Amino acid sequence: MSTPTLYLPRDSRLHHLHPLTKLALIGLAIVAGATLPVTLWVIAVYLLILMPLAAWGKVLPAFLRSSLLLIWPFALSLTLIQGFFAPGEHILLQLGPLSLKLEGIQLAADYTARILVWLSAVILLMLITRPDQLMLALTERGLPRQIGYIILTALQIIPRFQQRAETILDSQRARGLETEGNLVKRLRALVPLVAPLILSSILELDERAIALEARGFTRAGPRTSLTTLKDTAPQSAFRWLSLIVMLLLILARAAGWMTA
Amino acid sequence: MDRLKREFSTLTIVLIPVAIALNIAIGTLVLNLKVPLYLDSIGTVLVGALVGPWAGAVTGFLASFVWTLTGLFPQAIAWVGVAAIIGALAGAFRSGDWWEKWWKSILAGLITGVIAAILSAPIAAYVFGGVTGSGTDALVALFRATGLDMLGANMAQGVVSDPIDKAVTFFIIWAILRALPGRLKARFSGD
Amino acid sequence: MIRLERFSFTYPGEDQPALSDLSFEVPAGQFYGLVGPNGAGKSTLCYALAGMIPHYFKGTLSGSLTVAEIDIAQSSLGELAGTIGLVFQNPFNQISGSRFSVRGEVALGLENLGVPRDQITDQVDETLEQSGLADLGERSPFALSGGQQQRLAIASILVMQPAVLILDEPTSQLDPVGTSEVYALLHQLVGQHETTVLIAEHKLERLAEFTDNVLVLNQGRLLANGPPKTVLTDPLIEEIGVQPTRYTQAARQARARGLILKKDEFPLTLQDAQEFFDDAAV
Repeated sequence: MSTPTLYLPRDSRLHHLHPLTKLALIGLAIVAGATLPVTLWVIAVYLLILMPLAAWGKVLPAFLRSSLLLIWPFALSLTLIQGFFAPGEHILLQLGPLSLKLEGIQLAADYTARILVWLSAVILLMLITRPDQLMLALTERGLPRQIGYIILTALQIIPRFQQRAETILDSQRARGLETEGNLVKRLRALVPLVAPLILSSILELDERAIALEARGFTRAGPRTSLTTLKDTAPQSAFRWLSLIVMLLLILARAAGWMTA
Repeated sequence: MDRLKREFSTLTIVLIPVAIALNIAIGTLVLNLKVPLYLDSIGTVLVGALVGPWAGAVTGFLASFVWTLTGLFPQAIAWVGVAAIIGALAGAFRSGDWWEKWWKSILAGLITGVIAAILSAPIAAYVFGGVTGSGTDALVALFRATGLDMLGANMAQGVVSDPIDKAVTFFIIWAILRALPGRLKARFSGD
Repeated sequence: MIRLERFSFTYPGEDQPALSDLSFEVPAGQFYGLVGPNGAGKSTLCYALAGMIPHYFKGTLSGSLTVAEIDIAQSSLGELAGTIGLVFQNPFNQISGSRFSVRGEVALGLENLGVPRDQITDQVDETLEQSGLADLGERSPFALSGGQQQRLAIASILVMQPAVLILDEPTSQLDPVGTSEVYALLHQLVGQHETTVLIAEHKLERLAEFTDNVLVLNQGRLLANGPPKTVLTDPLIEEIGVQPTRYTQAARQARARGLILKKDEFPLTLQDAQEFFDDAAV
């Protein structure tokens, strides 16, 4: 059982950056992808910023694999739906009452590029950042520590719950529960599958709460931390700069200063 | 403020990650059962129904981040607001006796599903160009073919799929609530 | 170190008290066992000693309960954390899950107590060493065996250096190897730190081997309080549904079938049994 995250430990300069610096880098790419007016510029964000960053972080193959696996269903759906249904005049292909239009294809390409940029930026962040360090960085900046607890614990207990779900599925099948067959049968199978999992989870909550209480979870007063995050003045400056650039991009887009 | 404090007891704080893990474990299990449902908000609805609207909203909100962090469904953060509202609605239905009768819980689920569909449509239309990259895109194409615009087609698609999923989710949670001892339930809500 | 005077507790909505009129004392540095059938109130007593009753589980209490000079009812869980440690059965539920490494998990309690970082590092290292987890410090807590996870749960409490450690059947989900690991750790702990320990346990042989004194609880009442050798061989415990050790059972059967005894005492452990049967004659 391993924690289901995308994080890949690598000895790279990118990995050693402060989590908030990585967050700023990724935020910049996302804002650029959403605000730049020209599709080609958006694609350039992927090719010239995100890919080199992934290479710098020694995670390029995983980055390419994940981002392409994620984007192709979008590309396909967008090409079909926008290609055939978006308004336009340049007909490329006529299929009975439906026509594939150039404008629709261009629109599909634009959406695909933008989705690719923000989804792959998020994936890159996860490939190079340990979730616990990201949460620590945010907690240090004032995020309630309960939120860090919730997110990290959820991440780590998922495999156990998936395992339990599988066990219940197997044992209900062994008792003759039909999980195959027609739709009504499969729907009926849902309650006996799902209810035991939920009920048993609720019944063990007191123990989980008590275990936390025994370790001072609700104690009043300041907290300390075993781990420290390295931060530097240039990184802090970079984060402020990124923030300004992001705001400028959004402002420029909203005010219509940037046009194709 | 008092309501907030009451909702976020240590018991609730340990419930939320378990609920998020239930969303993900059950959501992925249901995928394999090949039923036209998601059930991927079942934990969120549980928290709303058991604790209240704030806790439900926080569960939906954070669940979206966890879906993203696992890499199973990175686009989940785009729907974070909708996920939070589903949890809040499940909690809001605690007033009145919506969770008391099985058919009322189904009705509450249908209402939640329609609201979720309406709120999801603009996100699908403007962030994702009207698609989700999944099987429901065929429905979107169908509604576009009938002459609806992208927003309308996405709304129509959502109204066809979401209410059924939420009705089943709410019904299962109704059954769970009925199976739990009353004293335990009272401890979650702090009532 | 632990003192109860006419202590009673009733869960809300129940007619019968879960703990009824309990009075006993555990001196500092002693290792106490707690036995009783299921439903006797062992877990409730453990929760009360750790302050979870009345601060987590509400209910009606009367009488007094002081642990480490603290009046439990007047205290808070935040104050008690670090002074009274609590460990229970299921290791999965005791691991917070919010730390990605064994080291981080052990450190959590100290972080919550606001202990300075250098001191956390020292105490964590020492505790990991003691609990035999030093080589696993960077592992995920969820990648450990059951016995290792339970030692991690204990280590996560020990690291706060509690004056009193309460354990509620900490080995019930462990195999014999895991059980031995846990007991070896507890034994060492009492020897080194003079921690006062109270452990609820079904495995009487382990109690015989390690404890100074044993409390017997039935239907929320204290039935016996004495050295393991006397209490655990008493026919009384079988009457309330606690199974004596196989050595005690064997000796009783042997006597019933005509074995003549020199001593009136029944054996509790394997070693006792050897002496017992050496002395006995048919």
